Amino acid sequence: MTASVDAGRHRAGPAFLTSPGMRLVGKRLLLAVPIVLGVSILTFWVLNLIPGSAAQQLLGPEATPAQVRALELELGLDRPAVLRYLDWLGGAVTGDLGQSLVSRQPVTDLLGERLAVSGELVVLAFVISLGLAVPTALLAAHRPNRLFDRISMVVSITGLSVANYVLALLLVLVFAVQMAVLPAIGFVPLSQGLGENLRSMALPAAAIAFPLYCFYTRFLRGDLVDQLQGEDYVTTARAKGIGPWQVLVRHAFRNSAFGLITVVGLNLGSLIGGTVIVEQIFALPGIGQLMLQAINTRDFVVVQACVVVFAVVAVLANLLADLLYAVLDPRIRYGSR
Amino acid sequence: MRPNAQRLSLLLAALLVLAACGGGGGTAGGTAQPAGPPQRGGELTVLESSSFAGGWPSGLDPATNTTGGANISQMSAIYGGLFLLTANDDGSDPRVVPNQAEGYELLDGGRTVKITLRDGIRFSDGTPFDAQAVVFNLQRALASPCSCKPTWPLADGGITAQDARTVVLTFTRPYAAVINSFPVANTNWIASPTALQKMGEEQFRINPVGAGPFTVVSNQLSSLLVLQRNPTYFKPDRPYLDKLTFQSIGGDQPAYQALLAGQAQAYEGLSTTPLLEQAQSSGRLTVTVQPPTSPYVIQLNTKTAPFDDKRAREAIYRATDFDSISKGLFRGLYPVSQSFTGPGGLFHEQAVPGYPTYDPEQAKQLVSRLGGLTVELGTLNGYVAQQVMTALQTQWQAAGITVTTKNYELSTLVQQFNSGQWQSMLQTAGAWDPASGVGVGFRFGSTSPFSGVADPQLDQLLDGAAATVDPAGRQQLYNEAGKYISDNAYAPFGLAFAAANIATPGVYGPGLTTKIPPIVVNAGVIWDEVWRVQQQ
Repeated sequence: MTASVDAGRHRAGPAFLTSPGMRLVGKRLLLAVPIVLGVSILTFWVLNLIPGSAAQQLLGPEATPAQVRALELELGLDRPAVLRYLDWLGGAVTGDLGQSLVSRQPVTDLLGERLAVSGELVVLAFVISLGLAVPTALLAAHRPNRLFDRISMVVSITGLSVANYVLALLLVLVFAVQMAVLPAIGFVPLSQGLGENLRSMALPAAAIAFPLYCFYTRFLRGDLVDQLQGEDYVTTARAKGIGPWQVLVRHAFRNSAFGLITVVGLNLGSLIGGTVIVEQIFALPGIGQLMLQAINTRDFVVVQACVVVFAVVAVLANLLADLLYAVLDPRIRYGSR
Repeated sequence: MRPNAQRLSLLLAALLVLAACGGGGGTAGGTAQPAGPPQRGGELTVLESSSFAGGWPSGLDPATNTTGGANISQMSAIYGGLFLLTANDDGSDPRVVPNQAEGYELLDGGRTVKITLRDGIRFSDGTPFDAQAVVFNLQRALASPCSCKPTWPLADGGITAQDARTVVLTFTRPYAAVINSFPVANTNWIASPTALQKMGEEQFRINPVGAGPFTVVSNQLSSLLVLQRNPTYFKPDRPYLDKLTFQSIGGDQPAYQALLAGQAQAYEGLSTTPLLEQAQSSGRLTVTVQPPTSPYVIQLNTKTAPFDDKRAREAIYRATDFDSISKGLFRGLYPVSQSFTGPGGLFHEQAVPGYPTYDPEQAKQLVSRLGGLTVELGTLNGYVAQQVMTALQTQWQAAGITVTTKNYELSTLVQQFNSGQWQSMLQTAGAWDPASGVGVGFRFGSTSPFSGVADPQLDQLLDGAAATVDPAGRQQLYNEAGKYISDNAYAPFGLAFAAANIATPGVYGPGLTTKIPPIVVNAGVIWDEVWRVQQQ
């Protein structure tokens, strides 16, 4: 008995590791390495192409050429770009992203305290946008071209036409200035209470979430209507006497979810772009704000780290999307062999 | 202001104007008049634009901070300052007064200055604020690469402590502007040498220790600086506030809305004209437009073509109509100057005799005589500068001048100046005292890399003015310098811009709700005097 249990345990380990799902994860993670590496090389190269001396920018206009030269030597900016990149890469693989050229603080410390803010903002924006888009799209697709569908279309088109920074300021005007129910700026960390934390994030998250909500709603609604009107499996389900809501939710939505997942994964890049501006407007100490400040001060080390973090997040989001495909469709899971 | 924020502000200014018009009452705009004496207690959150005063990326150590000119508010709140620039409430009679210094004496015809420190001041870490500490800080500050360090003509070993309360500065030539240069320079902020030694530079720049009205509670660089009242501050019953917070924000528009939402009580450096007008007319905020000190100047590079020819320079003078720009773009908010200080600055001269004024016909004739004129005009990115540059391009083209424009970031601007391969630059000139800070010598001195002029006669006039202790004598020399620049058509001067401070009702303080000429761009708010009406 003991022997068979042990044998089972012994088998469970390798079996888990060689499962189709794990293979898929492994394959995608391996693919992510050259992508992140490519992004880091490209970023480093572009940052080095920017005209003007970083040391001069750091020291200001009255710095003498000798002072500029001394700082370049101190920061290693006189060394060839390839060597500097390799140094950076060597540190990065061990978790050391270097030291800010401006503040001289470790970049990992700077990122650490800000990543949580941006992470929360992105997660909330996704939760709000998807949480609202799915039911709206289902309701709209249930009776296409009827009143609810038309209202949702008007709302979506409006939302897609308004830039998120415009929306951000409008939200502040309505909810902070006129109604005074939500704060206009600032961030309250979770340690000071969930309620206050969510209040401080409500408007920034809404500013990012609303355009996404509009996009997801239109996308999902369109796909659902296509499925309902043109697919044989829907006709079959209806012929079996399955009710319209069940056909919509259990059959059509399951298929449409593939497209939505793809779009959500691809959207992450623009979502991160949105956080840069929204964090500025709401004075949130996030990674977008840090990157913008670093760009302005030519703090290349911090910019490089921020871009790589964004790349890693985007790659992970797409990995997650791939895994969700596999969860939804076993053919993909087993096809990964 | 950063370009993104500029675009954002421009796009939304009209929207906000409409929307905010529906707002409630509040107190009337304009100069704040407190109903009673100052009150103790309370907190104040001050917003600072992330593109200028709201950026302190290198920390707040006076010797390692590279944006000191922008961070005067934070520095003053933490360190206080040896001297302060103050003025009457309406901005008249601006003067530098001793603060942590008790007094000073100019000796040897201005070649020596003896500064006496107040007795009994201590840093917030308990260590003495004495002459040794001041000497240590002055030496550190002068070794700094920050543009906020003063350009004193110091003799070798020219900074000494005579005794525990006396610091002596010795110059190679008379330097009358030395005391006026303190409030605009990093030498004004004295840090605790003991704390610096204990913490090391890396930590000190995050948690600096001074002898100012507030001490640091927390400091997230370029984001949030939280200060609390310094219980050992040398002035009895000061500061009034218990807590002072500086919050960085992404520009005028969000700052304005945050104030209306009651999330902050003050904003320094409002420059977006539609918002300024809205703030003035809404009656919901106190708006204080500071008396401008530094006019815009179109620097012409006289060392190279085409502006090595006086006729080309004259053509620019004659083609330029700053009055129209001031009225058309900025509703006449900013006065036009003909010399290197604005109306809020020392030795301001309203009209320079013989100044070549706007005359498009004469400009066209000059261009024709030159056989055409092609010019590249550059400026540093910024809302007002870009607006002015676009208007100048239009005016010059109307006079037959071919103009291309270029926006620079600071580093590329410096590179361009250093290369000498530039033709014209729209910059600001002068300072409150023309001989201190980014003063007239910075733009017109032969040895300055940021000057387009190399004229020993002008150098002599400017050096002579800086050395003259007698104010009437200095005025005379600066008037001569202004006329000399005009006669040689070295650089037309333009509107003198000064940002505004806005505050919510019930907030009062010198420089915040009263007028004090700007030190660099923003006025130097005297934070230990700022107070809020307390709720009963």
